[in-house]
Amino acid sequence: MLSSLNGTETHHLMQPRDRASAFDHADAIRRCARGDKGALRQLYEQEAGAMLGVAMRILRRRELAEEAVQDCFVQVWRRAASFDATRGAGRAWLFTILRNRALNILRDGSREETTGADLLADEPDDRPSPESIVVLLDETSRLRRCLEQLEPLRRNGLVLAYTRGLSHGEVASELKVPLGTAKSWIRRAFLQVRECMQ
Amino acid sequence: MSASRDDRVADYVLGLMEAAEAEAFERELAQDADLARIVAESAAQFHELDATAEPRPPRDEIWRGIESRLGTQRPPVAVVRPEWAAIWQSLRFWRWTGFGGLATSAALAAALVAFVARPAPAPQFVAVLVPADSTAPGAIVEIDAQGAARLITLKDIPVPEGRALEVWTLPSVERGPVSIGLMPRAQSRGLSLTAVPPTHSDQLFEITLEPASGSPIGRPTGPVLYKGLTVQAL
Repeated sequence: MLSSLNGTETHHLMQPRDRASAFDHADAIRRCARGDKGALRQLYEQEAGAMLGVAMRILRRRELAEEAVQDCFVQVWRRAASFDATRGAGRAWLFTILRNRALNILRDGSREETTGADLLADEPDDRPSPESIVVLLDETSRLRRCLEQLEPLRRNGLVLAYTRGLSHGEVASELKVPLGTAKSWIRRAFLQVRECMQ
Repeated sequence: MSASRDDRVADYVLGLMEAAEAEAFERELAQDADLARIVAESAAQFHELDATAEPRPPRDEIWRGIESRLGTQRPPVAVVRPEWAAIWQSLRFWRWTGFGGLATSAALAAALVAFVARPAPAPQFVAVLVPADSTAPGAIVEIDAQGAARLITLKDIPVPEGRALEVWTLPSVERGPVSIGLMPRAQSRGLSLTAVPPTHSDQLFEITLEPASGSPIGRPTGPVLYKGLTVQAL
């Protein structure tokens, strides 16, 4: 997917991702596996800002988002040897780890008080709606085209789950549908996008 | 497992799994190249959504924290770790064992007491033992860097008259299960790993119900009450 972003888009849209795609994530991860801490630092310099943004969108508290980013880099260092470049882009691998860390913090039962209270959030909840997130994707994006083909409520469920880390139950209450319905909508929508992306 | 393979791929990539479920799925990915390929491909497809989050400038403290956690570089100033830091570390590693999202507050409190009540050498491996039909943990096994192992029970386990609880580990399939402790009732206690090779990730630990004097054949004979795989603690 990242390679398809090369050179086909207008300049102003490309800056952050252009920088990301010019950087060889897979190579840096392999160097981490050999114990090269400089490579981890390069990954950090390259991605910490973007990761913090993704983690903030899920956690809404800077301190927790920072912890997710730290957890992520510690994991990257430890798991670098298990990275298999033939199975996918390095950047997607990094962000999968980051999102899993952030989601673990979000769902950590022992922190319900700290993560659940809106009062403790560092910023008001002005996170963009799922509709506007889809519009933030490049006009040329295939993912965007595929998401736009979904029925709106299902698309919203899918995007809310991915970007805010909502659980099946939370998506159900957000969409005001029964849990089972939300589950099957999201899973079905995921498959539809997968098929559309092929 | 009622969810189909496609459902589980969707749940994992979208982030809809509980921590323990996600970890079990990751272990499956390590064994199943085809599944891993499908997951990596899906993750790459949806990854573009990550670019719609507004980037935030990271504070320098984040990198310093990473460095100190990696432990190969000294933090700039030697600090004496306050007691709360040890408790915090315990919470932290529980999250990574997948315990966090599932724990009832009572189990967490009970286990916290177990942690706070003794000076805790940093565990190197942790296994959260759960029953076959539930994700509620019943016990934790932790092994420190010296190979000292400890069982921390989180729940009372009913033991019928004339029976006992036996703790086992499976260092390798060739070697088979090895008994590492026998107890008349659920209790937190040390475990003896002297007869087995050094612990590794994904090593099975389990508790079975056996005759009061232990399994007569040196292998588990009774039902498996709780089991779990080791995970390396950070």
